[in-house]
Amino acid sequence: MTVFKLPDLGEGLSEAEIVRWHVEVGDHIEVDAPMLSVETAKAVVEVPSPVSGTIVALHAQPGERIETGAVLVEFATDASAAGAADRAAGTSADAGTVVGHMPDALAQDAAEAALEAANAVTHTRVRAVPAARALARSLGVELASLTGTGRGGLITLDDVMTVGLPTHGASSTMHPAASPARAGGPTLPRGTAGAGSVAAGTAVAGAAAVGGPADVEQLRSLRRAMAQSMALSRDSVMACSVFDDADLHRWRGGSDYSTRVLRAIAAGARAEPGLNAWYDPQSQSRTLFEHVNVGIAVDTADGLLVPVIRQVEQLQASQLRAELNRLKLAAHERTLRSEELRHFSFMLSNFGMMAGRYATPVVVPPAVAILGTGSVRQDVVALDGKPAVHARMPLSLTFDHRVVTGAEAVRFLGAVIADLEQPE
Amino acid sequence: MAKMTMVEAINMAHAWEMAHDPSVVVLGEDVGANGGVFRATVGLQQRFGAARVQDTPLAEGLIAGAAIGLAAQGIKPVAEIQFMGFIYPAIDQIASHMARLRNRTRGRLTCPLVLRMPHGGGIHAPEHHSESLEALLCHHPGLRVVCPSSPARAYGLLLAAIRAPDPVIFLEPVRLYRFARQQIEDDGRALPIDSCFVLREGTDLTIVTWGAMTVECLKAAEQLAGEAISCEIVDVASLAPIDFDTILDSVVKTGRLLIVHEAPRTCGLGAEIAATVAEQALYDLLAPIRRVTGYDTIMPLYRLEYDYIPSLARIVDGIRATLAE
Amino acid sequence: MNANAVAARFEIPYRACLDNDGNLIGPLPQFAQDAELLRQIYRMMVRARTFDAKAVNLQRTGKLGTYPSCLGHEATHVGVGAAMLPDDVLFTVYREIGAKFWRGVDMHSVLLYWGGDERGTLYPSTPQDFPFCVPIGSQMPQAAGAAFAMQIRGEPRCVLVFVGDGGTSQGAFYEALNFAGAKALPLVCVIVNNGWAISVPVRQQTAAQTLAQKALAAGIPALQIDGNDALIVCETVGEALARARGGGGPTVIEALTYRLADHTTSDDASRYRDSVQVEAAWALEPIARFRKFLSARALWDDAAEGALKRELGEQVDAAVHRYLATPKQSTDTMFDFLYAELPQHLQAQRDEARRYAVRRA
Repeated sequence: MTVFKLPDLGEGLSEAEIVRWHVEVGDHIEVDAPMLSVETAKAVVEVPSPVSGTIVALHAQPGERIETGAVLVEFATDASAAGAADRAAGTSADAGTVVGHMPDALAQDAAEAALEAANAVTHTRVRAVPAARALARSLGVELASLTGTGRGGLITLDDVMTVGLPTHGASSTMHPAASPARAGGPTLPRGTAGAGSVAAGTAVAGAAAVGGPADVEQLRSLRRAMAQSMALSRDSVMACSVFDDADLHRWRGGSDYSTRVLRAIAAGARAEPGLNAWYDPQSQSRTLFEHVNVGIAVDTADGLLVPVIRQVEQLQASQLRAELNRLKLAAHERTLRSEELRHFSFMLSNFGMMAGRYATPVVVPPAVAILGTGSVRQDVVALDGKPAVHARMPLSLTFDHRVVTGAEAVRFLGAVIADLEQPE
Repeated sequence: MAKMTMVEAINMAHAWEMAHDPSVVVLGEDVGANGGVFRATVGLQQRFGAARVQDTPLAEGLIAGAAIGLAAQGIKPVAEIQFMGFIYPAIDQIASHMARLRNRTRGRLTCPLVLRMPHGGGIHAPEHHSESLEALLCHHPGLRVVCPSSPARAYGLLLAAIRAPDPVIFLEPVRLYRFARQQIEDDGRALPIDSCFVLREGTDLTIVTWGAMTVECLKAAEQLAGEAISCEIVDVASLAPIDFDTILDSVVKTGRLLIVHEAPRTCGLGAEIAATVAEQALYDLLAPIRRVTGYDTIMPLYRLEYDYIPSLARIVDGIRATLAE
Repeated sequence: MNANAVAARFEIPYRACLDNDGNLIGPLPQFAQDAELLRQIYRMMVRARTFDAKAVNLQRTGKLGTYPSCLGHEATHVGVGAAMLPDDVLFTVYREIGAKFWRGVDMHSVLLYWGGDERGTLYPSTPQDFPFCVPIGSQMPQAAGAAFAMQIRGEPRCVLVFVGDGGTSQGAFYEALNFAGAKALPLVCVIVNNGWAISVPVRQQTAAQTLAQKALAAGIPALQIDGNDALIVCETVGEALARARGGGGPTVIEALTYRLADHTTSDDASRYRDSVQVEAAWALEPIARFRKFLSARALWDDAAEGALKRELGEQVDAAVHRYLATPKQSTDTMFDFLYAELPQHLQAQRDEARRYAVRRA
């Protein structure tokens, strides 16, 4: 049985009216013989039979309007060898309908009735510089929690970094202006240098003189934030560093370097709270914290992140280890929440994981100190006048000498070392 | 009040204006006795006479140029180019003269006229019959370019185009000619020719589109409403000059913009809309502006034309991708 | 010094060979000595008409896109094909399948083209011939350019370009002829005056008494012929081509015929012309008269006709079957022939088109 549907009669015609059938049920008809007349919007058209066969059923009556693709007539096709084309025409009769796809008639009225009344909630959306939006996302900062210091309350890169990375936010020089929500022309966010004014792909001047292949990479996100943060630190902190070593030869087995260091920092803070503090040069005040919240520098594929372990002084070693692991994993997977990146009172950098004994780690304001641990080595030391080989951990403490004295610093360091040198 | 298709609405608008403005003259190939190859001018010659509905020789440059001359003489020509793909011989007249006459004579001579033509593809037409060339025309200052997306808007916008004091290129989406029916009051009321139409209100994303693509965009919005995604659809309609106020208000409201057009991507009108929105509403955007367009290829012959024309699937994916940013 | 003189006079000769009953009314052309050639001309005209009818039916059953029938034009089209040499180049409008078939274009290609597939323009047997040209008149300057190349290279080759009566109103028509005349190009232009440009009759298309005389404005010799007489078509076109080939410059030949069918399958000619005129035109149609001519010379009979019908039926069916079985091109082909090398930024679009490929034909 072959079904023939009203074919696409050309150029957008979607329906036709049956004028007259030239056959009846039971008639035999040859391929190409006139089968029926239909009237379209344009003309009366003769539709020939697509196959040779016998009419089994007519599916439309004269006067009826049918749509392109609607069933017209059913045949019992001849099994004759009238030609492969006939067979092809017959077996693909339902493909002999519409060549290609005609759009469904969607009632335009219905489409327009979908026009809803203005009951939409008016959003107060946060307006942010796109780069700030992207940085906030990578740092896990909620834009809605920020106050934009850009024009019209626009959130800038600086605003995000102030919260996402503890930086000196007061250096931004913006004055929120009462401007309309839309600028009248092209604008750039004013504020921190480089926030919006660097063209993509600009090489450092003269870089080509170095010779050889070179890859120009525009700083983004964390790396860019670090560049800004370090610049601010340099411009404000009076950094002073002191170096020493902790002798670990009395350690019993099973000690975990990271958690021992964290416990030692807590010990240091107990001995000298002045290094577990924030300094505000504007108000010339410092805040000494009871809790020790240690920001731990984590190197991720995208750059430096500083998740915070809170209340280190309260936690057991196993809890410290668990929390450390959790934060490091979250850092690498970029699932840290914004509150996990904020408000450390002291910073730790285990830079010696791969190489390096001593360093001058950078204080990140408003914190006033940072401890760096170098790689633990087997050193030759003097013991009771004789040489001995002991495992030692190099320690580098940088402090902000605007508000921390050298004596305080070394007292802190001494306490850290004393705790570290405990057997467990 | 009958329900009618877009081509019938266009016919009705012609008839109204010719009945009320004796200066209106229709000219073009096969517009008279034949009533136009799509029947847009059917019955007009019988009703208004051969002096007012003229079959011209086969020459598009002539049609465009003669329309300028007629208009400068105070006749109001409504001239037809049989398919947009055949507009090229007329470009010299359009660009060198139609767009410039007011300017180069400091307003002494003007040519208010309508040059109307089928636009876009999707009806399995032969080669060269399926072109979307609006960007070419929108790029000429001095021209108005209008593209209706429904029978009612075709009626109202054509009346506005005929009455406009400037030359108007009127693009009629060919696959919408008989696509749907609407009830239209034959009251001679024109629609504004400098305004977008918000076809659907929404809150999550703005789709800016025009012509036949409005149908797929409405379908996409309907489909995604079932997933609690609320799309606002803005029909640009007046492609030159563009009503950016409506577009920008919508983008400020939703924060996301998807532009959909059938014409090729590069240098398409979507690029102009994207640039302007980026200039004026960048800080309100939650995601990059996205375009779903015809590819940067020649419009293929009809077996591949639905691979070329932005499909419902591509539009839906474009909406999802914009929302995922 | 004369105050009044005649600046120019002109005449447009009219030539015919067979009347509409197939009787010889002029001298038999030289090539008509070749009986097999005459039969071949007849077979090709019937081939064109048979294919044409099938193509219309394919459109009416939704298997082919819009199709322009050549019903009634067979003598003009086939006569031109027979007069051309294989090395000449042919530019057509979009109706001239008789000429294309003579030059080896197969039916399958014609079906592919009107069936929405660009592969229909691949002409292995005539790789320099241009495809159908839809924008009216635009083939004329291109034809002149191709003839220009032959002239520059000093080749004994010609270009033949078809144009319709409507096409003679386009600026490109005049520009091309003017150039051909100014440069004395090896170009023969055959104006197929079938009386109608869709719904516009020739008398509304132009005030010129003949279309041939438009050539005189370009300084090109011109004549008018009975386009339904395959013999005169072949003879006059052959003469013009020989003249051009020998450096004698261009010729314009206006072939009078009649468009017996609608403009295309999207048209309904009953809207603008009456059936009386069409019936009168049928009395002048080219195939019946040529059959009579052949029969009178004992070159054709019913048995030959029957065999031809059967053979053509098979050929057409085979071409249709092959066409219907041709799967549509992949979406990659939208990008394959855009530039010699696909620009890199388009590779992403090509990938995207693949992902969204529509499976239905």
